[in-house]
Amino acid sequence: MAKVILTVDDSASVRQMVRFALSDAGYTVVEAVDGKDALAKLTQPVHLVITDLNMPNLDGLGLIRGVRANPAYKGIPILMLTTESQDSKKQEGRAAGATGWIVKPFATQQLLAVVRKVLG
Amino acid sequence: MIDRFRQAYREEARELLTELESALLELDRNREDREVVGRAFRALHTIKGSGAMFGFDAIAGFAHNLETAFDRLRNGELTATSDLINLSLAAGDQIRVMLEQEDGGKAADPACSQQILAELQKLTHDATSSPADTHPVKDPAAAREAVGHTWRIHFRPAPGILLQGTNPGLLFRELRDLGELKMTLDTSAIPPLAEIEAEHCYLAWDMVLTTTAPEAAIRDVFIFVEDEGELRIEAAAAEEPDAATLPADGRRPGAPPVPGKVRETVATPATSSLRVSTSKIDELVNLVGQLVTVQARLSEVAGRHQDPDLTEVSEAVDRVTASLRDNSMNIRMLPLRATFERFRRLVHDLGADLHKEVNFTVEGADTELDKTVIDQLNDPLVHLIRNSMDHGIEPPEARLAAGKSPTGTIHLSARHAGASVLIQVTDDGKGLDVEAVRARATEKGLIEPGARLSESETLSLIFTAGFSTARELSGVSGRGVGMDVVRRNIEALRGSVEIASRPGAGLTATLRLPLTLAIIDGLLVRVGAEHFVLPLADSRECVELTRRDIQENHGKHLANVRGEIVPYIRLREYFGIAGQHPEREQIMVVDTDYSQYGFVVDQVLGDHQTVIKNLGRLYRNVQEVSGATLLGNGTVALILDPNRLVQSILQAASQRRGSAGRESRGYRLDSLPPKNKEDKTDGTQGSEQQV
Repeated sequence: MAKVILTVDDSASVRQMVRFALSDAGYTVVEAVDGKDALAKLTQPVHLVITDLNMPNLDGLGLIRGVRANPAYKGIPILMLTTESQDSKKQEGRAAGATGWIVKPFATQQLLAVVRKVLG
Repeated sequence: MIDRFRQAYREEARELLTELESALLELDRNREDREVVGRAFRALHTIKGSGAMFGFDAIAGFAHNLETAFDRLRNGELTATSDLINLSLAAGDQIRVMLEQEDGGKAADPACSQQILAELQKLTHDATSSPADTHPVKDPAAAREAVGHTWRIHFRPAPGILLQGTNPGLLFRELRDLGELKMTLDTSAIPPLAEIEAEHCYLAWDMVLTTTAPEAAIRDVFIFVEDEGELRIEAAAAEEPDAATLPADGRRPGAPPVPGKVRETVATPATSSLRVSTSKIDELVNLVGQLVTVQARLSEVAGRHQDPDLTEVSEAVDRVTASLRDNSMNIRMLPLRATFERFRRLVHDLGADLHKEVNFTVEGADTELDKTVIDQLNDPLVHLIRNSMDHGIEPPEARLAAGKSPTGTIHLSARHAGASVLIQVTDDGKGLDVEAVRARATEKGLIEPGARLSESETLSLIFTAGFSTARELSGVSGRGVGMDVVRRNIEALRGSVEIASRPGAGLTATLRLPLTLAIIDGLLVRVGAEHFVLPLADSRECVELTRRDIQENHGKHLANVRGEIVPYIRLREYFGIAGQHPEREQIMVVDTDYSQYGFVVDQVLGDHQTVIKNLGRLYRNVQEVSGATLLGNGTVALILDPNRLVQSILQAASQRRGSAGRESRGYRLDSLPPKNKEDKTDGTQGSEQQV
């Protein structure tokens, strides 16, 4: 049974890239355009959330808190996409409940390595 | 495959640049708005982040420096100055050039980028760094050493580790991938049962790992958890087989079972939007148009055969076709916002060029319009705004002298009106001088000296080719081609344009555009053997007109519809259709720009999904007919434009009153003021518009 990964990013090209890399590796990918959209899509089983931090409507930190507040999802791994200029964001993200992070820009292999790391 | 991503990135980046531009211009008006700074930052952030990912390194590096500046702006470390905003606008343009270059356009000038960055550095007093790649995950295989080392690892995660989504078992599995792992479980911290928090992790592990991987690879395993909890990694002297091994089977002690794992996964990838090329949609709309025509034939055939089975199928097809039509039309509808926001930049730049201060306001930008219409709307609006900027809005000194605020205003608005959308460009400049227009038109030979024209007729002369009241050519407008182009473009869209002037107080140009170019809901009517279609959206009601009604009104072209007097037009007479009208005629009451008008027909046949076909170039001067459509039985029905019909009737009436000798345009009747039947026989009119 394929594991379901929810990718949240306001950039369509990043979503497309994440989707391509992950579906190629056998995961089922669900896309959301921002935090609000992502929370609305948490109606199905999701095994991992990969989220950008800077997004309109509801940003990544808000989304992480929202996911953690949902009893059904409070233990799932959440990865955030950050850039090198956002080291302080990593701490904020951890405090909000993120499992780990991926630094942009990243290559497909790096993405898969981190996904395997937290998803097994 | 990567090319597809690069293409997606280019399209996305262009949108983001537009967003950046609109945020910058908004920031220019409201320097303190953090929300707008955030928008600009996010746009730059995505341009940079995605750019680096898809190999647009030059763009990513360039955007990085801008992003840094906006991050500081966002944190209040910098303030938005007009220099910074202008520089950022230039930088946005530079990124656009770099994108085009990647797309095969002309090469971007690296010196230009350098100059922008140097300016930026000066403005921000900051040694901006170049983007550095720091990847948290490194390939463990890359730096593997030849000789194995033994490491002692003590790991006591923070109690909340499970709630952060980390599965310690996976970490151990990763360690085992590095080499031989022996583990001892430390359960000493588990509290008495009553105090146990079910979701906390109270365990600690002591491990001995023998591996050829360097220490960094081991640290990488714990990269997400090393800051919290305890983690010690030490090189051990030799084999220390004192540790009781624990099967590191990946099961999380004390963890609740992960919900969802036991349930069946539904493989429904949900996308919120999809990019489709316009040609595909055009093809779809074209096919839907054909389907609508075929469906009309089916209805017609079903109506003739009176077969209940056939009728049922025909009605079902009818319903599906109608919703298919609405849906496919809806795909093409786009809000005007993107188009409108683009003009903010135009006004900003022109204002700087012309040394005029202009405030640009937008209303109704969410109004949706067919994409084809929007695409062709850009040029006319550019012309209208340029005209307002150049001729309308006065320089600040002149405005002050006229008792106005030194800052002018250009207001762009859109709203729905029936089956049309009205777009207005309003300025508060000096307006148009009707007398000057009249004099100029006479001088250019466009009208005869002494011709009597109403104000709106006079103003509409500025849309004639070769007309311009500005004597000197400015860089912005005044070549006398702009307004001519405006009218031609708008009329090509089956729309119309009007000018209203308030001398000294400004000018309003109103564009009336059809919602869609392809299919409308129409009302099919019959006069003699001819069929016509009236737009359903403007139709109000349908009443009967008997001979008695006509007699009671003494033949005047006025009908009494529930106490309201409605002027009417007989289509039979207007189009010169032969034959006697029946005993009972019907009036379609239609909302027009002027008032409610009635159109008298022999019979109202019912609603008709009308696929609009152009009449072709030969008939482009026929104002009253906006197109033609095919009926189910293959005959052609003309689509009438009620506004133009009424307009030409009123014009004919005023012209006949004004210059009796002038050739009028071929009407068999007029309706205001009501005239007697005998008057209609006067010989001044030909009939150029017979069908």
